[in-house]
Amino acid sequence: MKTDRLINVSERWFRLLLRLYPADFRDEMGDAVVEAYRDRARDAVNRGGVVRLAGVWVRACADSLRNGPGERARPAVSWRRGGNWGRDVELATRRLMRSPGMVASMVATLTVGLGTFAVVFTVVQKILIDPMPYKDPDDLYFVWRDYGPILDMKRGWLSGTNVAELQKAGGVIDDAAALQRQLTTFSIREGAEPTEISVMATSPNLFDLLGVPPVLGRSFVPHEGGPAGPPVIVLTYELWNRVGSDPGILGTVVRLNGQPYTVIGVMPRDFTFMRNASLGPPQRADAYTTLNVNLAETDPRGGSFGGLVRARRGTSPQAVASAVDAIGRGIDVRDFQGRGLRLYPVGLKPDLVSRVRPALLVLGFAGAFMVLVLMVNLGSVLLARAAQREHEFAVSRALGANTVAIMRATLFEGAVLGLLGGAIGSIAAAWGTRALVALAPLDLPRRSAVAVDWRIAAIVIGVGVLLGVLAAIAPAVWATRTNLASLLAGSAVRGGGARGRMRRGMVVTQVALSLVLLSTAGLVVRSFERLLRADLGFRPEGILTMRVPTPGQLFPKTVDVLMFQDRVDQALAAIPSVRGVSGASALPLRASANQETLAIPGAPGNTGDPARDNPLVDMIGARANYIDVMGMRVLAGRAFTSVRQEGVREALIDRHLAEQFFPTGNPLGAKFSSDDQLLTIVGVVEQARLYDVHQDGRPQFFVRAEDTEYRNLSFVLRTDRDPASLIPEARQAIRRIDSRVALADVKTMEEIVGDALRQQRLSAVLVAGFALGALLLAAVGLFGVVSGSVTRRRHELAVRLALGADPGRVVRLVVGEGAQLIVLGVLIGAPGIYIASGLIRGVLVGVSPLDPLTLAAVSAGLGLVALTACYVPARRVLGIDPARSLRQE
Amino acid sequence: MAGGDIMGMDKDRSRLSGSQLPLRSVEFHILLSLAAGERHGYGIIQDIQARDETAVPDVGNMYRALARMVENRLIEAAARRPAPEANDERRNYYRITTLGLRVARAEARRLETLMRAVRVGGLLVKGTK
Repeated sequence: MKTDRLINVSERWFRLLLRLYPADFRDEMGDAVVEAYRDRARDAVNRGGVVRLAGVWVRACADSLRNGPGERARPAVSWRRGGNWGRDVELATRRLMRSPGMVASMVATLTVGLGTFAVVFTVVQKILIDPMPYKDPDDLYFVWRDYGPILDMKRGWLSGTNVAELQKAGGVIDDAAALQRQLTTFSIREGAEPTEISVMATSPNLFDLLGVPPVLGRSFVPHEGGPAGPPVIVLTYELWNRVGSDPGILGTVVRLNGQPYTVIGVMPRDFTFMRNASLGPPQRADAYTTLNVNLAETDPRGGSFGGLVRARRGTSPQAVASAVDAIGRGIDVRDFQGRGLRLYPVGLKPDLVSRVRPALLVLGFAGAFMVLVLMVNLGSVLLARAAQREHEFAVSRALGANTVAIMRATLFEGAVLGLLGGAIGSIAAAWGTRALVALAPLDLPRRSAVAVDWRIAAIVIGVGVLLGVLAAIAPAVWATRTNLASLLAGSAVRGGGARGRMRRGMVVTQVALSLVLLSTAGLVVRSFERLLRADLGFRPEGILTMRVPTPGQLFPKTVDVLMFQDRVDQALAAIPSVRGVSGASALPLRASANQETLAIPGAPGNTGDPARDNPLVDMIGARANYIDVMGMRVLAGRAFTSVRQEGVREALIDRHLAEQFFPTGNPLGAKFSSDDQLLTIVGVVEQARLYDVHQDGRPQFFVRAEDTEYRNLSFVLRTDRDPASLIPEARQAIRRIDSRVALADVKTMEEIVGDALRQQRLSAVLVAGFALGALLLAAVGLFGVVSGSVTRRRHELAVRLALGADPGRVVRLVVGEGAQLIVLGVLIGAPGIYIASGLIRGVLVGVSPLDPLTLAAVSAGLGLVALTACYVPARRVLGIDPARSLRQE
Repeated sequence: MAGGDIMGMDKDRSRLSGSQLPLRSVEFHILLSLAAGERHGYGIIQDIQARDETAVPDVGNMYRALARMVENRLIEAAARRPAPEANDERRNYYRITTLGLRVARAEARRLETLMRAVRVGGLLVKGTK
């Protein structure tokens, strides 16, 4: 009696240990193994009682621990070699190969989805997440001036003295560098073809501060800075490449604006550095020179230097902020009479990516949603496949097949599909990313770093497999529940029950996800459309622009510059089909202009509040006819004409200044001074927007470029022809006047507008693409459900028709079933719209994130597509021949 | 049926000369037991125990060997029937095949040759261990 109990307990223990063996072995040998153990246990009890039995237990445990995994690793029987998993892969692959159509369409969907995901992921990863390619990049900060109540300028350049103070600050601030960017005419040797390059003039410590040494030669040494420093230059890899990649370039002399500079170094290929700009996009550089000023002797109130700071390793941003703030306070008291100037640091990367961050987050969000929709779609396809095989499952289960094996097979199908999709998707993404980068804004931070690498490919493939497995879970669980009895019982309503519910649930989820994605896309597209239709304040079509720099080394005196510019004007005007030529110091949407504070003493709009009466404005120098050539609007008075009055310096103000200073009176004829010149207002114009497409920037006033020396004037010409076709003639015309001058930024005005909208266009295209993809998937899902329903209910529908039901009503009945799912999906998705609206608020322009019109239109569109997806299969009802259908049953 | 056997034996003969020898000790012991008649799993263990206490295999070890040997056609499963020494519970019995017998003999000859070589070489002088 007691022995039997002991033996039975032992058997349970042995069966437990048996789990260590692979299932195949268990199935075949398991019972025999347990029997042998039982015999051994009984022997032990008979011969030595419980103590001996315990020995058997322990030995069985050791035995199973060794042989169980051993059998898994090296199966005894050849057809099991590679273990169960290998067989599952083989079976899943073989099954998939039997339905190539399904596999092809599924892999194609996954490829598109995962490829897009990979592209978005790459961009987000490389721009937002990857560290910058400098030593300890998190300890680098740009320092800005917030003029507080003094001026409306939250992000102003520093003065040289500020940087000098940061350099000697000590404490948590290790070092600081000043940066100034100049557009410079570069030639590799005297007399060679000149090109314009962007040169960063810096303190000699820049490269030490970034912790990146040159790949060739050396970087600057301390004595090379300042006015007495020798003219030396470090080239970027790209510029070095452009001039021939000659390793012997070190020590040679190149020309910047005609002046000789000795090449001392070349930076590595992957080195890029942008000076974050006060206004407008970050500025890149082609070459580096040292600043030829003594920072400590610059005007402490002026602001023209970017300040880059390296904090002591591991210092918290708060500590850096308070250190910089303390220095700023001292500066405020000493140089600004304590009127409230502040200095503040911003981390290098946050500062650089702040402009693209909102758009990237929306893209990331849309990408993630797209992947979710994809997963549900894959899930429902696998479910449908599982359903086709429900007989097979049920029969094999009835014959004693392993539940886990059936589940594993289904999971494997998902995984294999996901693996294929992920692998092909990664390859597609490598191209996709390249295309995307080509479309991306030129000033996209870290543009060059954006490419699919192995790590990303591995992640995408991993996501694909995970997606496949997740999508397969529901069908896999369902498949194991099927049994023959329920299948036979349910054969009257084939395909009903749990699977039907699950499939419907998936369609509802798809509709809900699509709704959120579509509404996001609708808003982003609408916002983009607003931008496209925005009134820029000028007419961009038919205008060609080019910048003609006149460096001091080539044109020493102001009069030389002005004469040269007059000749350029005439030469351009002589080109056939050119209807008007002019020039300006700052073109619209290029976000570059000089800022000045402006006061109009005696104007009726003055309030006595010095901050309000001295607004910060953009000052633009413009040649005669500029307003006319650009197609800007004159609101009062006149624009600059070719006729000039002796002794009068003319100025134009924009509507904002006119409204502020002359709310009642007439601004024409009023005088004010700027740069020690007395100016007379001759007209009021509507702004041509300098910064954003959709809103006016700071107030503008124009002075005559013929009155002042503007060495970097952009010329504009209006033509009836395609403006781009005039480029060769314009180049020739200017070369004929002076071959040493480099033309820069030759672009049509429409290109400039397009560049300004690149980021928004990209977001709109991508998000809309995601949303349409999701909609398509949801529609396919609905189509499947409804057509499945028609097949399943064929008998019932045939009865209805036979009994004289109106076919139209029967169709409506079927469509109604789909419509229910749509309504449910929309109801579930609606709160999602609300949540998503918070996320996309930052990228929308002129559209509320809950814009009722857009949301209504999107819902209607979704409903229409979804109903169509229901109606098309429902129409098959009309093809049912009641008599034949019923006979078949 | 017969044809199948011949085919199988042809295949197995090539195996015999190749990978089958030398046998693992547990395999040789199993063949040795089954050469004397049909046995069930624990019966084989008891046999081995009687022959050589130190060579007794673990249950798992032995069944893995059994599975392998069935696959290699050295042995085959016999009918399941009551085992008199185990309260007449039913047990899986195994029996040796012709091939198994031949392999066992080949192994025994191989061992014999080896032993002869050992003696000629004087590695084991009589009386030492």
